[in-house]
Amino acid sequence: MSSRLRRALVDAGGALVFPLIAIVLSFVLGAFIVLATGNNPLTAYAALVRGAVGSPTAIGRTLLGATPLIFTGLAVAVAFRAGLFNIGGEGQLYIGAITAAWLGVTLGFLGALSIPIVLLACVVTGFLWGAIPGILKARFGAHEVITTIMLNYIGIYLTTYLALKPLRTEGLVPGTDAIDFAARIPFIGLGLGRANYGFLLALVAAVVAYLLLWRTRRGFQIRAVGLSPGAANYAGMGIGANTVLALAIGGAFAAIGGGVEVLGVYGKMTVPFVTGLGFNGIGVALLGRNHPAGVVLGALLFGGLASGAQEMQFSTDVPLQLTSVLLAVILLLVTATKLVELLFGKRARALAGARLEKGLG
Amino acid sequence: MDEIFGAPGQLLASTIRNATPLVFAALGGMFSERSGVVNIGLEGLMLISAFAGVVGAFLSGSAVVALAFALAAGLVFALIHALMCVTFEADQIISGTAINLLALGGTGFLMVSVFGAGGTSPRVEGFGEVPIPLLSSIPVVGPALFSQSVLVYLMYVMVPATFFVLFRTPFGLRLRATGESPEAVDTAGISVGRMRYYGVALSGLLASLGGIYLSMGILSAFTENMTNGRGFIALAALIFGRWNPIGAAGAALLFGFALAVTFSAPQEAIPNEFLQMIPYVLTIVALAAFGGRAIAPAAIGKPYRKE
Amino acid sequence: MTEERTRGGTAGVEAPVVLEMRGVTKAFGPVKANDGVSITLGRGEILGLLGENGAGKSTLMKILYGLYSPDEGEVFVDGERAEIRDPKDAVSRGIGMVHQHFTLIPALTVAENIVLGAEPRKGVSLDLAKAIKDTEELSERYGLRVDPRTRVADLSVGAQQRVEILKALYRKARILVLDEPTAVLTPQETEDLFSVLKELVADGLSIILITHKLGELLGISNRITIIRDGKVVETVEASGTDEGALARLMVGREVLLRVEKTEAKVGGPRLSAEGLVVLSGAGAKAVDGIGLEVRGGEILGIAGVDGNGQTELAEALAGTRPAESGLVRLDGEDVTRVGANGRQGRGLAYVPEDRGAKGLVQDFSLSENNALKTYDEAPFSKWGWIFPKAMRRRAAEALRAYDVRPPDPDARAGSLSGGNQQKAVLARELSGDPGVIIAAQPTRGVDVGAIEFIHRQLLEQRARGKAILLISLELEEVRSLSDRVAVIYDGRIVGEVGPDATDEELGLLMAGRTGGEKDA
Repeated sequence: MSSRLRRALVDAGGALVFPLIAIVLSFVLGAFIVLATGNNPLTAYAALVRGAVGSPTAIGRTLLGATPLIFTGLAVAVAFRAGLFNIGGEGQLYIGAITAAWLGVTLGFLGALSIPIVLLACVVTGFLWGAIPGILKARFGAHEVITTIMLNYIGIYLTTYLALKPLRTEGLVPGTDAIDFAARIPFIGLGLGRANYGFLLALVAAVVAYLLLWRTRRGFQIRAVGLSPGAANYAGMGIGANTVLALAIGGAFAAIGGGVEVLGVYGKMTVPFVTGLGFNGIGVALLGRNHPAGVVLGALLFGGLASGAQEMQFSTDVPLQLTSVLLAVILLLVTATKLVELLFGKRARALAGARLEKGLG
Repeated sequence: MDEIFGAPGQLLASTIRNATPLVFAALGGMFSERSGVVNIGLEGLMLISAFAGVVGAFLSGSAVVALAFALAAGLVFALIHALMCVTFEADQIISGTAINLLALGGTGFLMVSVFGAGGTSPRVEGFGEVPIPLLSSIPVVGPALFSQSVLVYLMYVMVPATFFVLFRTPFGLRLRATGESPEAVDTAGISVGRMRYYGVALSGLLASLGGIYLSMGILSAFTENMTNGRGFIALAALIFGRWNPIGAAGAALLFGFALAVTFSAPQEAIPNEFLQMIPYVLTIVALAAFGGRAIAPAAIGKPYRKE
Repeated sequence: MTEERTRGGTAGVEAPVVLEMRGVTKAFGPVKANDGVSITLGRGEILGLLGENGAGKSTLMKILYGLYSPDEGEVFVDGERAEIRDPKDAVSRGIGMVHQHFTLIPALTVAENIVLGAEPRKGVSLDLAKAIKDTEELSERYGLRVDPRTRVADLSVGAQQRVEILKALYRKARILVLDEPTAVLTPQETEDLFSVLKELVADGLSIILITHKLGELLGISNRITIIRDGKVVETVEASGTDEGALARLMVGREVLLRVEKTEAKVGGPRLSAEGLVVLSGAGAKAVDGIGLEVRGGEILGIAGVDGNGQTELAEALAGTRPAESGLVRLDGEDVTRVGANGRQGRGLAYVPEDRGAKGLVQDFSLSENNALKTYDEAPFSKWGWIFPKAMRRRAAEALRAYDVRPPDPDARAGSLSGGNQQKAVLARELSGDPGVIIAAQPTRGVDVGAIEFIHRQLLEQRARGKAILLISLELEEVRSLSDRVAVIYDGRIVGEVGPDATDEELGLLMAGRTGGEKDA
């Protein structure tokens, strides 16, 4: 038992090392950029850290930023496990958001009881929306990278239309009606600012994702299909069905994220609604090696950077977009595994982990 | 002039204007993908060049310098993508996503550093309209087609030019071969890596033309995230047009028309948002109908490793 | 390491030596693919290079073409020492190669494929007209009929091969190497090819023909060099030998360790096929009407050269590939329409040829792999959940029983050696106590110790009354394990012999000779 634990820790450690190096390297690069703008990297980074975890309100902001990213990160990670690229988190999140925005108002009279019902509805709509690219791939061979990107825009426009026309509020802010406070996800309090229990829901979602992938029959199949379609086929597992399911489940996770954003943060779906959560989910999943635990850590990093960036821009002169640049560099470094091989040899590259090599066909 | 030639002329002119950046980016994407490298970073390439062009114009007041800045920016970012995908064998989708993120964050960051504030940059001298004598006097279509910016005329030329390069030159043959079967190309003694670098570099240059047209051909300033998904629409046009210049340009024109209509159509007829969905829905239909697999360059998306 | 300078040509006139490879040695890890190989080729000569799979023929030619570099040895072209580092060097020396697996680009036209890398130009542009004209000229001259404007994807296999030859001729090849050229041709196309070769030779080219098809070589070549286990056995004049002698030279070796076999206690048929037709991926008939029967308590071995339908046969019997027509029966029941899962449920075990891609999920643990087919049954699963602990326990037992090293259920399958991976596959397949076992290439890429273990396991299953179908490219393995040996050639069973058949008998059958007839 303890040797299993030891191996698990070694594996986890090995999995973390590489992203950590990428993070450190990108921060070093960032320091040069900060210097170039005439600022002191140390004060900038200090402000960054302060803004991320330096006070209960800061922590609260970090949690707020991390929550939706856990959901969209899981959306990408679960699909990756089946060997699929889910770039559709953005649209899937919006579908969940509009579902919650509408149902939250309609069922608002139920008070807190409406929350689980609304979130369940998000699961359904997100599942259906995510199934679309799955079916397109399984039935027509249409590559999911393109179809999910296209569906992002379709989803965004569709929900924008819904929020501006049929579901439009009479208030001043363009979007849907505000949901009763009683029917929203409550704040945690404890000095954490506007952080709400959505974060806990996100953690639960991560656990669910873990159990799904490693403790259920379907998860076993999904992982087998993703790692070796040949062997999975030989063992009688259906590739098409698992393709559809993996993308549908991913859609469901992202949609809950949208629902949580509406129920916990905004209370409605505004137009324009928050952007970038889906795309950042890709980075989170990648950094977290497509493992639910990693996704949580990655989301906390992204959330922390976003929160800290505001403080950094406020107290120094460094624009908050620096964090986007940092994140992009991290992404590039994490995926350039051959670079690791060139620098550290083949074994190090194997340690850096299997990466998905997929063509468009 | 608009009063004289009325709505159809206006719509055509607007279509051309909207289509131009899409055509450039789609043609660029074509070179990259034909060599076997997926490039979903077209969005970022356009954005960074749109910005670089404005910076160039701001610093020098010259349109030529602006163009040089834009081309350089597009080229540099494209080469990063090439380095990642070809030399470091990174995942091409992730690299493209990172390029987009880098461009988005980078432009936002630099907006503050260079211009002091985010949002929209100061106005610069754009590429104004240059009517072509005689041709621009043709009723209805004349002004729409021939009273446009120089960059638009460049776009007209680019379509047949890229066709020629791709299908009538040795370089084009080798490029296409690389995207179809890198093993065969390697056996013929041609460097797969070098062809892919060329393909990606060309995508950077062409996309940057689309980018600078956005910021300086239509408007005269840079606004954050002004590409707003056009890079993806261009990718869709490329796929819809089946990876060849005429098809891609035609699809881009169609999508440009869709965009133009969203700006001018009366709100009551069809909701704006549904019009805006059209390019994306069309692409999905195309992929489902043609089965994706059958028409993309055969070896696209996978790093090439020699034995 | 004898050097043989022989006369080429049928006229008996001393022809100049255009190519000599001297003392070529090439090792891949511990295996010596070529061990001090020397060959010569005279001008206007057709030299046949004969040997079994893995004998070293392809490796030698890849060295000649610059795709590999030799550990030792030298190459002389027209008497001059040649340093060939890559295909470009080879081409510049006038060496052209027609690979077994074509390096053509399906989406491009014939002319485009031929000129790629050596394109005729007109200023900046590609002179497509000249390319087409040049192609037509070459085509005319040597009788290689093909339309330069057609897309390669639309061509028949025979036509594609002509394009490959034209590619070499366009680059002014004087020495042409063809690797298993007739493997993909119909008899008629083979005849056409041979007339082309005669034309080429009349024009002064020299040709090396790599093949395992004895009869063809006798018909076309001047001399034949036989390679076995990486060494040259002998070089003979085609006119001075016959198929029997060639077969003996190609196949014969000292009999290695024969495993102790008990008397067969044979029961009724448990696995049978009738008129089985299976299509290959490309739509051709890989299995062309095979009928066979495997009875309980015996091992039926299928011998044959790679590519004659064994893979498709195994897959169709196991249920992972659908049959075009014909029947498969398991214990009398017609299971032709039943999928792999169903057949497994009826007691069929299948050890696939490609354990890396089909037998195991490399990135799964041994425990997960062990449960690859049974993960959804008790005790591993209930109500949709799976219980890794139970899987691990069962796997630990199985791994120990089948000597998998390390017997660690949590080890990643891909981290094990080939032999241990194969034993893990066996452990999974055999632990369900199947009645019928299909084993395809069970010891390919496996170390000697594991080979011995796997053989013992198969014999033990035989002793327990199971029916075993063994498909293998290793003749020794087939001979020492099987009770009966059926030889497969071109998708059909061309003969059945006992395990003590002579090398000559087996060699002939494997080359498609049934009772001395000429094949059509």
